[in-house]
Parts: sequence; structure tokens; C-alpha cells
Amino acid sequence: MTDSFSGQEKSNAWSIKRRLTILYVVSAFGILLISTVFLYWVLTTRLAKEDGQFLAAKINLLREILAEAPNNKEVLQEEVEWETAPFRLAKYYARILDSRGRVLIETGKMDTVAPSYIFPRPARLGQTPSHAAMRKSTNGHSLLVMTALARVGDSRGQTRILQLALDISHEDELISDYRSRLLLVLLAGILLSAGVGVFVAGRGLKPIEKITRTVQHISAHQLHRRLGQSDWPLELNELAGAFDGMLDRLEDSFNRLTQFSADLAHELRTPINNLIGETEVALSRERVVEDYREVLESSLEEYSRLSHVIESLLFLARAESSEARIEKKLFDPRKEIEDVIEFYEAMAEERGVTVTYRKASAAAGSGFVNADPTFFRQALSNLISNALRYTRQGGKIEIGVEWGTDGGLNISVADNGMGIEPEHLGRIFDRFYRADSSRSENKPGSGLGLAIVKSIMQLHHGSASVKSEPGKGTKVTLSFPD
Amino acid sequence: MRILIVEDESKAAAYLKKGLSENGFVVDTSSEGDGGLALMEKNEYALVILDVMLPGRDGWDILSEIRRRGIATPVLFLTAKDSVQDRVKGLDLGADDYLVKPFAFSELLARVRTVLRRGPVRQPDILNIADLEIDLLRHRAARQGTKLDLTPKEFSLLALLARRCGEVVSRALIADQVWGMNFDSDTNVVDVAVRRLRRKVDDPFEKKLIQTVRGVGYMIEND
Repeated sequence: MTDSFSGQEKSNAWSIKRRLTILYVVSAFGILLISTVFLYWVLTTRLAKEDGQFLAAKINLLREILAEAPNNKEVLQEEVEWETAPFRLAKYYARILDSRGRVLIETGKMDTVAPSYIFPRPARLGQTPSHAAMRKSTNGHSLLVMTALARVGDSRGQTRILQLALDISHEDELISDYRSRLLLVLLAGILLSAGVGVFVAGRGLKPIEKITRTVQHISAHQLHRRLGQSDWPLELNELAGAFDGMLDRLEDSFNRLTQFSADLAHELRTPINNLIGETEVALSRERVVEDYREVLESSLEEYSRLSHVIESLLFLARAESSEARIEKKLFDPRKEIEDVIEFYEAMAEERGVTVTYRKASAAAGSGFVNADPTFFRQALSNLISNALRYTRQGGKIEIGVEWGTDGGLNISVADNGMGIEPEHLGRIFDRFYRADSSRSENKPGSGLGLAIVKSIMQLHHGSASVKSEPGKGTKVTLSFPD
Repeated sequence: MRILIVEDESKAAAYLKKGLSENGFVVDTSSEGDGGLALMEKNEYALVILDVMLPGRDGWDILSEIRRRGIATPVLFLTAKDSVQDRVKGLDLGADDYLVKPFAFSELLARVRTVLRRGPVRQPDILNIADLEIDLLRHRAARQGTKLDLTPKEFSLLALLARRCGEVVSRALIADQVWGMNFDSDTNVVDVAVRRLRRKVDDPFEKKLIQTVRGVGYMIEND
């Protein structure tokens, strides 16, 4: 187990609750900020545009009056002096100068509030400025000002300068008020979203707490407990499923381990029982030297059996630990296969079994296998040894080489022997598992041969599979990946 | 020849001493490393058999100390830890060979002899044991002048037993040397092969050369 599984130690990663809350706050703040800035921008541009339009409209009105009735002073006066006075929201000023800059007519007090020099230079004759300029009045108010030229009558080039100003201090107040309200909204939004975030994250994470509590109650004795699939939220359903899957595998491994311990004890008990019994009987009375010799020799055989079991178990243990190292190389399996067949040839002949090597297709004949040659031999040797054990006289064993679907090479050992009952197939690669329990006493092998084959295949990241039909035969296939 | 055994387990030390003494060696034992080192300073040994798992200073430590003191005596170490790293470590430190427990005594004896024999000893091309003649170069064997009709593997098996004449050769060693099955394999196969070899080498003749040593292996004895 690595430390990350211990869970008890304080991790320095942020909790999901905190992450979610912060995400809520940041996104709520972002959205609020964007919308307030936008609203603010809309308001100010809208106001500025309307003010500009107002001034431009006034300029056009004055132009018209100057053009059509240049001498009707009353109309002009009305327009400049009275019309400006009761203007509702903002105060509005107008002034008309002659081309030399002398004031002809102006709104009352305009000379003190907006003297002539603060106005910009007029645009060309006939043009109305597109924007109003911003100025400060002498009494500190904000003014929008506009200057334009106007023709007097239809005549020969006599012009007037029109100066218009709009006091927008009222609007300024409005906007600054609006601004502070927006800030307030932003602040409240942040606080609110933080609160909501904490609440929502807490609620959303409830099932995780529940799952944790359930998991905490699972111990080695309760490996049969499961989280179940139905009552979890969709996202956790998958986790619960994966966790249950892990429990399945754990329970299976645990059971196998228990079974393994029992089998191991049994496996060791048999030879040790023989040893104790034989020795005890031998020592119970005086015997001739030959008898003692017989006992010692028999003991030696039992010791070899024990040693063989230990050897095999050590091999398996090493294969499962990180200690195991294999030296893979790419080679033509033919030579190795033929060597192993040669090793078993004599025994097969004595048993009346033929062992043949069959290449499935021309393509497979050139197939190279990527494996550790020694382990390759050992796996094949164990399979042939097994096949020989369960094949009757006159039977045959066929070793085949085929391309795997993944580009690797499959080596198969098929016999036409007694076969394996379906209920045993899933476990024949387990340690000490023997399909035929009635024959388990006084059996020839250690019951570890196939377990070793499986280990070897795991070391190669390959797999071993078996197909069998009782009475017809068994085929074990080793898939070596590319 | 004098051999020192450094082994803390008294039973193991006792049977090793007994077995080696009966095979003509003079054997001293020590149950811990420093005592062993002291003996090595005092006497000259042809070989040291060193257990790795010792109380106090372990075998590795003793081994490096031996080499540091400039003692060139061959060392054969015994270990219960059968990992490649362990073997490499021992050989790196200057051991000459190693054996993994549990081992057969015959195997130990063979290794001891090999280590002691190591050096410029030339194998003869022709072996003669009683009326058996083996030509290792031409791959031919004959008894009483009659050529034996052997398969290549049968010849290898016979040659192996003949080269180790007088020693018991274990089934595992036979499987390894003759067929290259250098792993724990089905040793019944070796029995079958030996049975077949006997049919050709021993059955037609009165004197039986190939002996079975029950529980251990096979040997050819010349007496």
C-alpha cells in the first residue's frame, strides 16, 4: 500500500468544497462585473449621445432662424434667452457672436458661467460637430459645449458664431450614484455567491461523505458488502461500480489466498506426515542396515518433494514481486519448441503419445516471439508435461504457433486427452488447484505447474487461456504480446 | 585438502563436515565470522564455504574482509535468498560460486570439486571407464570394442555421467546440461532417458555402469 491510500494524513490539496466555493465566487464576481460595467457603459454613452443630439438640434434651429429671419430679433431672443431658461434637467446656454467675436445675444449669466474662450474653434460652415466637447464651467460644473458657424440670410457670406453649452452636473451626480450602487451590488453578489457556494457544495458532496462512511465499514470479514448501484448520483454510480468491482476482485483474491494457505498446509503435511511416520516406525526397533537405508532414501525423496514445492512457491513469489526481471528478446520460437519437444520425446514415446509441432500458416512460420527464452521454455515445458500427464496411450499433443490478433504470437498446446470439466476451467491456473480431486493424493505434479505458466505470462504482460471439452481434450494458449 | 565451513546452524555445519570428511577433505568449522577469519589467518585452506546469513557480521561482510586482507582462498557461499541481485552481489564481492538453500549434498560436492579443479585442467578427449570408451571429439561411445548406437542426447547424457565419474549427478543438473532445461522441470523425463540409455549401454553387458542413487540422481562408478 502506498501512502496515498492512508487517507488519514492531512493533504495539502484543497478540499472539493473549498474549490467549488471559490469557483462559484470567482464566476459570480466575473459575471456581475461584466454586466455592471456594460450597464454603466450603456448609460453613459446613451446620455452623452442624447446631450450631443440636443445641442446639434439647437444649433440647427438657430441656423434656420438666422438664415430665414436674420433680422427678426425677437424670435432669436426668444430662442436664446427664454427658451433656455426653464430647461428642466440640465441648464442650457446659447450665445451668438458675429464673425469678429463680438457677442450679439446670449443667455443671461452665460458670460460668467461659460465665457466665450472656453469654447472650441467652430467647425467649417455648414457642418455640425459630431461630438460635444467637455469643459468645466467657472463655477465648477461640468459643461458640454459645441461651437458652429451659421449663415445670416441667404446673402453674401455674412456669418455668425453659435456657442452652445449644456450643464450636465446633474447627470454626473446620477452616474456617480449609479456607480456606487453597482459597487454595492458587486460586493453583495460576492458575499451571496460565497454563501450559496458553501451551501451547494456541501449539499452536492453529501453522497461522497455517505460513500466514505459505507466504505469505512468494510473490513476483511465483510468483503461481501457492496456499495450498490441504485441510490448514488450518476457520477458516483460509476465510482461505486468501480469500487464494487475492486471489492469483487479483492474478495476473490482473498478467498484464493485463504484457499492457497489451506492447500499449502495440506501440500506440506503429506510429505511431512510420511517422514514422521516412516522414521518413527524405523526407530521403533532394531533393524538391519538395509532397512535404515531404505528409510533414508525414502525420506530423501520426500525432502525433494518439499524442496520442489518451496522452489516453485519462491518462483511464484518472485514473479509477483517487483524483484522479478525478465530479459526479453525477439527470437524464432521454433528452436525452443523443438528443444522442449526433444526433452519430452522419450517420455512421450514410452506413454505412446505423439508430440508434434504444427505451424498454422506460412505467415506464422516466420513469426518471432518477444519473450525471455528461458521462461518461454519453462512455460512450454510445464504445459507439455501437463498434457502428457492427462493424455491416454495413443493420444497426441500438438504444439501450434499462430499470430495473435494484437500482432503478438500465440503458442498453443493441444491434446486429445481427458479434458477438464467446465467448473474447473476458471481455477486451473490457481496454485495447488487440481481439477481431479480424487487423484490429488499421490499425484505426480506439485500442482503449481500452471500457476507458474500464468506467472510467466504475467511477467511478459501476456496471457494464458484454456479451452477444454471433457473427454475430447484440452488446448492451452499462451499469448505473447508484440 | 583443507576446507573451512563458516555456518551458524550447527546441524548444517555438522552434516557438511561429515559429508566432506567422508569424501577425503579435512574440515574445520566456525559458527561465526570473526572466528572464521581468525582460522583463516592461522591455517591455509583450499576453500571456504560461507553462509550468508550469519549472526553479527554477515557473509558479505566476511567475504569483503577476506578479500581486503588479501586472502585469495576460493569462497563458495551458501544463501537462502535466491534473488539475482544476491548472486550478483556475492560474485561481485569475489565469491567463486554460490549455492541456494535447500541444495543437494551431491550438488555441493560437485561444486566444491569444480571450484578446486578450476584452472588449467584439460579435459581428455577420450574417457575410459572400465570397458566403456567415450570419444568426446567424434561423439562416439563403445563398450568392449562394440560401438554403441546412441542418439545425440543419449551421448551427451552418457558423456556427462562419465565426465563426473564417481560423483552423483542430480536429475536437475542432467536436465540442465543435456537439454538446457535450466529450471525446475519434470524430472521424470530424466528417468525415462536414463532408462533408455541403460538399455543400450548396460543391458547387453554383464557389468552395469550406470547406478541409481535413490533420491539423488545417477552416477557412473568405476571400481
